[in-house]
Amino acid sequence: MTEVSLLSLVKSYGKSTALKGISLDVGHGEFVSLLGPSGCGKSTTLKCIAGFEDVTDGKILFDSKDISRKLPEDRDIGMVFQSYALFPHMTVARNLAFGLEMRRMARSEIADRVARAMDMVQLTPYADRYPKALSGGQQQRVALARALVIEPAILLLDEPLANLDAKLRDEMRGFIRDLQKRVGITTIYVTHDQNEAMTMSDRVVVMFDGEIAQAAPPEDVYDRPASERVARFVGNANILDLAVADQADAETSLSLPGGGRLAVTGGADAPVSRLRVMARPEQIALTGPGEGHIDGRIAKRYFSGGHVEYHVDTDCGTLNVLCPTTQNVAEGANVGLSFDTRRLWPLPGAAHVTAEPAA
Amino acid sequence: MGLVTPLLSLLRALVYVFLLAPIVVVVLASLNAGNFLTFPPQGLSLRWFWTFLNNDVFIDAIVYSLILAALATAVSLVLGTMAALYFVRHARREAEAVRIAVLLPLILPEILTAIALLFFFYEIGIGTQYKIALFTGHVLMTLPFVFLNVTTSLQGRDDAVELAARTLGASRLTAFRRITLPLIAPGMATGGVFAFIISFDTFGISFILKGTGSAPLPIQLYDYLRFNFTPEAAAVSTVSILLTLVLVTVSNMLFGRD
Repeated sequence: MTEVSLLSLVKSYGKSTALKGISLDVGHGEFVSLLGPSGCGKSTTLKCIAGFEDVTDGKILFDSKDISRKLPEDRDIGMVFQSYALFPHMTVARNLAFGLEMRRMARSEIADRVARAMDMVQLTPYADRYPKALSGGQQQRVALARALVIEPAILLLDEPLANLDAKLRDEMRGFIRDLQKRVGITTIYVTHDQNEAMTMSDRVVVMFDGEIAQAAPPEDVYDRPASERVARFVGNANILDLAVADQADAETSLSLPGGGRLAVTGGADAPVSRLRVMARPEQIALTGPGEGHIDGRIAKRYFSGGHVEYHVDTDCGTLNVLCPTTQNVAEGANVGLSFDTRRLWPLPGAAHVTAEPAA
Repeated sequence: MGLVTPLLSLLRALVYVFLLAPIVVVVLASLNAGNFLTFPPQGLSLRWFWTFLNNDVFIDAIVYSLILAALATAVSLVLGTMAALYFVRHARREAEAVRIAVLLPLILPEILTAIALLFFFYEIGIGTQYKIALFTGHVLMTLPFVFLNVTTSLQGRDDAVELAARTLGASRLTAFRRITLPLIAPGMATGGVFAFIISFDTFGISFILKGTGSAPLPIQLYDYLRFNFTPEAAAVSTVSILLTLVLVTVSNMLFGRD
């Protein structure tokens, strides 16, 4: 188990800067996901950690030792690639043995470890098969075993599930997470899929434009996003832009169109005139007209099996509402909307407008 | 519908006849017992093979051609593989420039490449001395075949495999030797066979750049046929056809396509 520290990592390609000073600590045995849209720098960060790219500035520490100038082969990493990158001319067993051969391990020891690794990923019957004779999921498991059999200091995964179909992807998610916990290896996982990041990680690092927007446990990133952009990237977000009626120490009271008030905890440190708050679709409940915080009209209804999603036209714009299927309302119906006020999240950052100074 | 299939079969048969008939004629002519290169042969005999084997001029020319082809192939394999690796891994304008430069001798008429080289080597004061011009010409002629075959075997391959080997502890060189090289070996073998055959029977380049002294087989054959018209020439050709056949068969057995 190794601790990984990135210290103001900068990566430039000529004039364009892919990483603008990334700092991140990954603890012993922690599973951290780098999440972001393509081009956000998450893959570049992983390539820098693996040693495929030189860093322009900054340091990468493994257990407080600077490894940023070391070659990939000297970094003691295990890596799983999106394409799996299995050696097509070697059997499964030979693929697993490769890293151990590079470490000049004794033949019997190699055979031992390979057998154990194959057992770990339940591939023992396939030892003598070539990669092309395996299914996608099996190849994925070989790649995982090959990265782990060398008992590396850290495990790097680059969108490993992107090439699998949806059902297998869900299975592999659990498989990878279980295996990681069992082995207890420090893991950095790159993905653009927020569900993957949230279900698997101890901590999610959301990246935009070569910078870290937020690094926090999945619950925090989802419920208390650091910015509107993070809020919108990790799941559906209803953003309400409301006027501030009253601002106390721990509570801010907001005016709703139609005369109602909405109290949110927290808010801005300085006095503001308006505040943007986020409500997730499942944090809004449908009520009878006039019974909720605001009224609206069902514009669209989508049934998705476990839930029904409604698009509701209100004076605060069209809001997304997710309800259990037991609550069934037809399109065009007038409804009230009630917010789960404890989970309403005032968005920090540039989104709020500072109040005019008192005359 | 009903007519297309037989017509295609006929077309295919004709293509084979056009390709193979000259070879058959040469082989049969080499077994001629008569004194002149005629077809059909007048009686069967191996006497012209015997004559050829005792003719130092031809034996020298064959040995010379084999050595030249082997050296040109070796150099082409190294340069062509390097160029192919560069081209596949750098999909940029520089890579495209490399590709065009390497393929140019294939696109230009052979005679143009030969004349350009002749001018160049006279310009730098070497001329056709030391066989340098001839050797350079053969490398340039054979390079495209190695380049194209290795490029094909690299394309569609996963770039990440070499990186994967690196993360598993292999140095750059070891990763190339253990992972990339086995994957491109079939392409190199095919390219190498092509290169060898092209070098072995190219005429224009050799004719213009050979200089004085011993000459490659095709030039020697041409010289011979200008003054003699015996089946010995056919015997020489038959032997070189056999050599080519052996080369292709052996390489197919060693590196058969998967």
